[in-house]
Amino acid sequence: MDPDRLATLLSDLDNDRRNGTDVGERLCDTCVEVLDVTGAGIMLMSDGEHRGTLGVSNGVMTVVEDLQFTLGEGPCIDAYASDHPILEPDLGAPVTNRWPAFSGPAVRAGVRAVFGFPLRTGTVNLGALDVYLDHPGDLRTDQVSDAVVMAGVISRTVLALQADAAPGELPPLLDATVHHRAVVHQASGMVSAQLDIDVADALVRIRAHAYTSNRPVNDVAHDIVDRRLRLD
Amino acid sequence: MAPREKLRTETFVTLADTMVKDFDIVDFLSMLSSRCIDLFDAREAGLMLADPDGRMQLTASSSHEMRLLELLEIQHEQGPCPDAYRTGAPVQVADLTEAVARWPQFAPEALAAGYRSALALPMRLRDETIGALNLLRVEPGTFPDEDITAAQALADVATIGILHHRAVAESHLLSEQLQYALNSRVVIEQAKGALAQKLDLTTDEAFDVLRRYSRAHNLRLVDTAAAVVDRTLDAAVVATERPGG
Repeated sequence: MDPDRLATLLSDLDNDRRNGTDVGERLCDTCVEVLDVTGAGIMLMSDGEHRGTLGVSNGVMTVVEDLQFTLGEGPCIDAYASDHPILEPDLGAPVTNRWPAFSGPAVRAGVRAVFGFPLRTGTVNLGALDVYLDHPGDLRTDQVSDAVVMAGVISRTVLALQADAAPGELPPLLDATVHHRAVVHQASGMVSAQLDIDVADALVRIRAHAYTSNRPVNDVAHDIVDRRLRLD
Repeated sequence: MAPREKLRTETFVTLADTMVKDFDIVDFLSMLSSRCIDLFDAREAGLMLADPDGRMQLTASSSHEMRLLELLEIQHEQGPCPDAYRTGAPVQVADLTEAVARWPQFAPEALAAGYRSALALPMRLRDETIGALNLLRVEPGTFPDEDITAAQALADVATIGILHHRAVAESHLLSEQLQYALNSRVVIEQAKGALAQKLDLTTDEAFDVLRRYSRAHNLRLVDTAAAVVDRTLDAAVVATERPGG
């Protein structure tokens, strides 16, 4: 990326952050524009778990993020876990199908090529940036290197947001990111108490139920919390 | 290559290497101070960094001799180091006997310790000055220009190393805080669910119980929540703080 463009982009983002603009969506739109891709999404993680979506550029990306949260597999998860870019230029006919549950629904949603980049800050990974194309194809070398730059820009922005919060607290934008999945964590606590299993296993059960019944994981979680559904 | 020139080159290579591998800021700056004595006609060298209030703090020195440490530490506010820090420019004193009026505390102490001349170089990157490198000699006179240039170059490399180290440390701290806050948020939601189930409450009521129990026992909400989730704290015990109960 041209250094002047990067400098402008960083100063615009700093202004947005100070004005309290939703920088999550702004970052995704910037990625789409800079990287010349169909869509982009940003996922936050901690302790190896998907904690929430910081932003998406369009509705297809919402589906992609929801699939990854539900299934615990996909390009973001792999980019985070491997600490390397994940490149899948033909999701509909991959050489090796690395995401058996994710691929089908993602292709049906309109994703034909998908790429994940870790949000790395020194020794800690904060999550991943996902971008997709609505047609099969590789990213060019300059797109890959710009995506790595954008992942750095996102990490920097996330940490700048965190710097404004009191220690132990989340800044409002990141709190809202996690809040979207609050019901799922409540449901995990309930199922854990019902079945006398630990919360991580309870989350696996809830995800499995959402997958097999083909429902959004948040809907299943709401049913559990409202006592309309009991897993066994 | 002349021996000193070779040593200078080696020093730069070592400094660069230190910045890459297992960077330890104290080792890095101690090594820099020690090398200054070999590289320049100096008896001792010290490195002072400004604290957030702008006061100079001794960070590294070529020896740990008490007299030297005290002399460097006197320069909290007064002496060649604070002057170089404040002005962002080199400060050279060819004869400390003529600097008593300028630094009434530092100059007599330096002379008493046996030093006659001093050089302080700012540690600066662009418009940010973070400290100063101090060279002390037992003979009067100015340092050769080429020594000043080379010492300034060393100070510049060290400045980049320190600023980089600070940026990494800050980003590491923020990453840890973010991870902790994310995990806290999640464990509190999980505890709400577990308590709601065990005590037959809504999640809002469960949160209220969790909060009352934490306050009553002077615990952090997140610690109570974690204990409920990993089942080291029995829901029935937390329920003693049930609303109206």
